[in-house]
Amino acid sequence: MRILIIGGGQVGFGLAQALASRHEVVVVDHAPDTADRFEKLDVEFVAGGGTSRDTLRRAGIERADVCVACTGLDEVNIVACGMANQIRQTRTICFVSREDFLRLSKGEDGLAHFGIDRVVWPEAQLADDIERIVSTPGAIDAEVFAEGAVRLLEYRLEAGSPLIAERVAALHLPHGSLLVAVRRGDEFFIPRGETRLASGDKAIVMGTPDAMAEVQGLMAQGLNVGRQSVTIIGGGDVGMRLAERLDTVPTISLRVIERDEARGEALAARLHRALVLQGNGTDLALLESEDIGRSDVLVSVIDNDEKNLLASLLGRQLGVKRIITRVSEPANLRLFERVGVDVAISARGAAIAAVLHEVEGGPASLLAVLEQGEGRILELEVPPRYVGHALRDLGPPRDSIVGAILRAGRAIVPRGADRLLAGDRLIVFSTRSAADQVRSFFTGAA
Amino acid sequence: MRLAVVVHVMGVLVRLFGPMFVVPALVAAFYHEWRDAVAFAVTAAGSSGLGHAMRFAGGPAAEDAAERLRRVEGMIVVAAAWMLIAHLAALPYVWAGVGFIDALFESMSGLTTTGATILTDFSAYGRGIFFWRSMTQWLGGMGVIALFVAVLPRLAIGGRELFFAEAPGPTDEKLSPQIRQTALTLWSLYAALTGVQVMALWLAGMSLYDAACHAMTTLAAGGFSPHPSSIAGYQSPAVEWIVSCFMFVGGANFALQYRLVRGNVRALTDDEEIRAYAGVVVAASVVLAFFLTASGMQLADAVRHGVFQTLAIITTTGYASVDFNLWTDQAKMVLLGLMFVGGCAGSAAGGPKVVRHVLMARFTLRELRRTLHPRAILPIKLGGRVVPESVVREVVVFMLFYILTFAVGAAIVIALGANLVTGISASATTIGNVGPGFDSIGPMGSFAHLHPVSKVVLTLEMWIGRLEVLTVLVLVRWEIWQSARWRLAD
Repeated sequence: MRILIIGGGQVGFGLAQALASRHEVVVVDHAPDTADRFEKLDVEFVAGGGTSRDTLRRAGIERADVCVACTGLDEVNIVACGMANQIRQTRTICFVSREDFLRLSKGEDGLAHFGIDRVVWPEAQLADDIERIVSTPGAIDAEVFAEGAVRLLEYRLEAGSPLIAERVAALHLPHGSLLVAVRRGDEFFIPRGETRLASGDKAIVMGTPDAMAEVQGLMAQGLNVGRQSVTIIGGGDVGMRLAERLDTVPTISLRVIERDEARGEALAARLHRALVLQGNGTDLALLESEDIGRSDVLVSVIDNDEKNLLASLLGRQLGVKRIITRVSEPANLRLFERVGVDVAISARGAAIAAVLHEVEGGPASLLAVLEQGEGRILELEVPPRYVGHALRDLGPPRDSIVGAILRAGRAIVPRGADRLLAGDRLIVFSTRSAADQVRSFFTGAA
Repeated sequence: MRLAVVVHVMGVLVRLFGPMFVVPALVAAFYHEWRDAVAFAVTAAGSSGLGHAMRFAGGPAAEDAAERLRRVEGMIVVAAAWMLIAHLAALPYVWAGVGFIDALFESMSGLTTTGATILTDFSAYGRGIFFWRSMTQWLGGMGVIALFVAVLPRLAIGGRELFFAEAPGPTDEKLSPQIRQTALTLWSLYAALTGVQVMALWLAGMSLYDAACHAMTTLAAGGFSPHPSSIAGYQSPAVEWIVSCFMFVGGANFALQYRLVRGNVRALTDDEEIRAYAGVVVAASVVLAFFLTASGMQLADAVRHGVFQTLAIITTTGYASVDFNLWTDQAKMVLLGLMFVGGCAGSAAGGPKVVRHVLMARFTLRELRRTLHPRAILPIKLGGRVVPESVVREVVVFMLFYILTFAVGAAIVIALGANLVTGISASATTIGNVGPGFDSIGPMGSFAHLHPVSKVVLTLEMWIGRLEVLTVLVLVRWEIWQSARWRLAD
């Protein structure tokens, strides 16, 4: 496929990186110095504005199959998609950062009117992700797939955790849930029956919603699951959206710290119960006087990695139990978690996964990336040649595991003896290196 | 301040007020009270003539300038016009033999929908006079100036300033983009409701004349009754319940009622003020009924009088279904408290208004919360929307001046010989535009025996209360008078 990416920022770069190996990628950006970054990737770079017809022509819009507009300006993205659609009926994916445009897209005469096929709102996705994590006590990641039929949770295991007690084979995880992966230091592997989990490991569990609720109960033992006090630092796009969601949860008492007074007033106007504080998230005196240390969760979503890190570390110092931090620069993700941030999360990951899902779709699509890209969740169609086989006999590639079978809208967490039926779809977990093998195993020729 | 413009606009208003006297003249003539009929006719002609003279005194340039009335000029026009109109409306009483200070008191009490009276012998005056008394309240209820804005297209532009300077409560609610349309809509609704009440009272057995007089003073939250012992004089529970209903309506925001009539029920249920208003009415009725039964009244009577008197005082109507001056101090305390509540913004009621209390409560709580969280951003909200700080400040200032005016008024009245209860209740009842007080100025009593200076002070309090304090108190500022000049040249 020929894919046109308008905007060579963080998102554009990530997308190019993910797509370059399998597709013909052209990146358009008006700043020529961004070209350097793309040089080491196998992509074509065209300097020029994404809203210029001439630039789009030079980038070969006539031959493009998909056009992704991901500059930092919503209006530019919308116009670029509109023009691309006008010149050639390409599929268009448009990034937005403000709610006014997204609201449009839901209406009947929404952004489709501008020739936009799909809208991606990374900030909202990030806010949704954080909300899920906040509302799952103890978890460091929480995802849902297949319209809610499958849930995934990630926990950091501490001494005394019920998962450490036994070999994996002997653990009595609730029926309908499955331990799919473990991260231990730099290692990332799919546990076998004889594996023993240790304190400090991160365990990823997948299963049906009912089973995962039990897992949640199991893991939350000893945690305060009643009232939660949550502090959000930074009331930007992500912070405001997250705050609005958490504000409606009666068991959460919420505080938002925002530096800008006018923005703080806008926040206070939209929130009903939350306390909005004007000040700097890195101001120790403020954090101390407001007793931020007693928060159950601290979410730092400032638009600046350094400040986020400082605010998070101050929070840790003051005694906050769980710290979720937004990271813009992907290279920082691991570092943040290493120095004491419980969950380092980036808007980019989810957004890129969404685009990949949209672009590649088809019989094998990428639902999510976990652990900074180490883990992949794929959704696959069962090819006819495997129908009737038991999972055990199939022998999928190493470093992959079938997490769930989607059958008639419901998820079945498979045992080895389960047989595949025509029309089944599989949710497969794999490491990064195994992802392509998994893909070809299920879609490639026999 | 451009005096020529002020005089011109006042002239326009006074000239329009003149024809109002024709109605009581006709009523007086209908009852063959020729002396009063002539008085009204003469006043009508005199007012119109005075209005014309003032209009022309301003000169033709003032006519153009009137279209661009400044905010402070608007306030002065409204304050001065109300005072002047009160004098004109007093003339028929003077003609009928009432002393000048008493006549002005009665007239101001009417126009401001207070309902406090200096009349002691009701049989001494004709039906035309009593009709006029009720009619002044009806006109004052929705606002004399709002009425003129509604009927006079030319006043429309400058009228915006006048309309809001007169409007009760911190509201700038407009039902349509045009101020004239808004005024017209409100007045139509008001007139229609009055018509309905006349029918209801007539069906309940009142004479048409009495029904009209009461309907005009109920919805206006006025409280004048042609009967010397007010509603109690009719000894009819049906009448009391009808009046209770319409008092409640008169104390509610008319703009909301208009929306309700147009089918927008949510406008009513979503409004915080109307909910608070209803809540206070229910709570006060229950407490009052409890105190009344405790003092030996039958439960059914206690409920009926409790509801009636709660509404009569909170809406600042001031009717009496019973001589509440004979009640225990417990019950009187409830009524005195209600005098300081008032109805809803945008209603005919006086007093500080429920919405101001709601905002004051939130303001106070915010200050408490701020001591705990000095860096918090704490907007004050009403109905989920942020109330601008300027409005909050105005509310606080209003409350301060309101209490100050009340205190000064009470002090003067007591200093001039009234007893403590009389003085305090007189000041509270006049600035709140309620009507009767306690003790010698109770519902069956009269203000006639007070010191003349006290009566003047109380008259001023009614004026200040009706125009929501700030419109009048701004006149105290010396710079307004310093900048006053006749000529228009800028």
